Amino acid sequence: MKPAASPDPLAQLTEIRAIMERSSRFLSLSGLSGVGAGVVGLLGSAAGHFYLQDHYPAGYIHLINGSEAERQAALPFLLLLALVVVGSALLVAFYFTWRRTQRSGQSLWSAPARRLSLALALPLVAGGLFCLRLYLGGDAGMVVPGMLVFYGLALLNASKYTLDEIRWLGLTQLGLGLVAMLLPGWGLIFFALGFGLGHIAYGLVMYNRYERPTGAENQ
Amino acid sequence: MKHLIHTLNKAFDHRVRLGVMAVLLANESVSFNDLKEVLDLTDGNLASHVAALEKAGYVLVSKQFVGKKPNTTYTATAEGKAAFQQHLAALEKLLKP
Repeated sequence: MKPAASPDPLAQLTEIRAIMERSSRFLSLSGLSGVGAGVVGLLGSAAGHFYLQDHYPAGYIHLINGSEAERQAALPFLLLLALVVVGSALLVAFYFTWRRTQRSGQSLWSAPARRLSLALALPLVAGGLFCLRLYLGGDAGMVVPGMLVFYGLALLNASKYTLDEIRWLGLTQLGLGLVAMLLPGWGLIFFALGFGLGHIAYGLVMYNRYERPTGAENQ
Repeated sequence: MKHLIHTLNKAFDHRVRLGVMAVLLANESVSFNDLKEVLDLTDGNLASHVAALEKAGYVLVSKQFVGKKPNTTYTATAEGKAAFQQHLAALEKLLKP
């Protein structure tokens, strides 16, 4: 860096704004991460649907109105499914974002990335425990709405550390969660809408805005 | 017309110092390593410019130990924030005289 001998005010202001943005927000989040996580979400809801159809006469609707014994019996599968879905969604999301940081030469584990992860993780862990308690307590129909509401709030919370689209994705998930509360029997459909299609839609928007190969050279 | 250039703060008369203040305005407190990384600087270069800002009373330096490693964090003082805002305003004025 060389000293600004005769300051070009416009260049200085532009650089200052860019530095402020770069130092406080993680901007390398890849849209493909969203698309990948969405595909995992769709597969997860399909797996849940087919498993429940196989084990109970009316599938998901039977389970949320089922007896405690039936809920207990389905719990190991549902927990395993949740772990696999969350784990693979994180892996896929991590991969595409890592690939983008490799190309742009930015650091993956910068201060804003750490803040983003913490802002996401805290509400999600709280929400996960809350939903588990709902399920065990007999309110299984509120589990998917609860997941969507907590996920929406987590995204809203994290959006100040990353791209603006994440705020809108959060509001979308939150809205879906609130509507899902009114339609408990539609849980799997709302799961597929929010965690599946919601991620894919916003992922594509972000990819189009920031990463499409034709525009990559001017970044 | 008196030269507007003279309304610019001399303490910010360097890209590195501008960068440091920009990061400290956008973030409450920043460690030496994070600052170095986001501005893409060497240790010595960053240290000398931060020292100048500290001397001007614009930046507060606090040193702690994480285990045995020293960890230095920086925050902008109220005075530093005000001075930097004024500097930005002066730059904007230069754009539309």
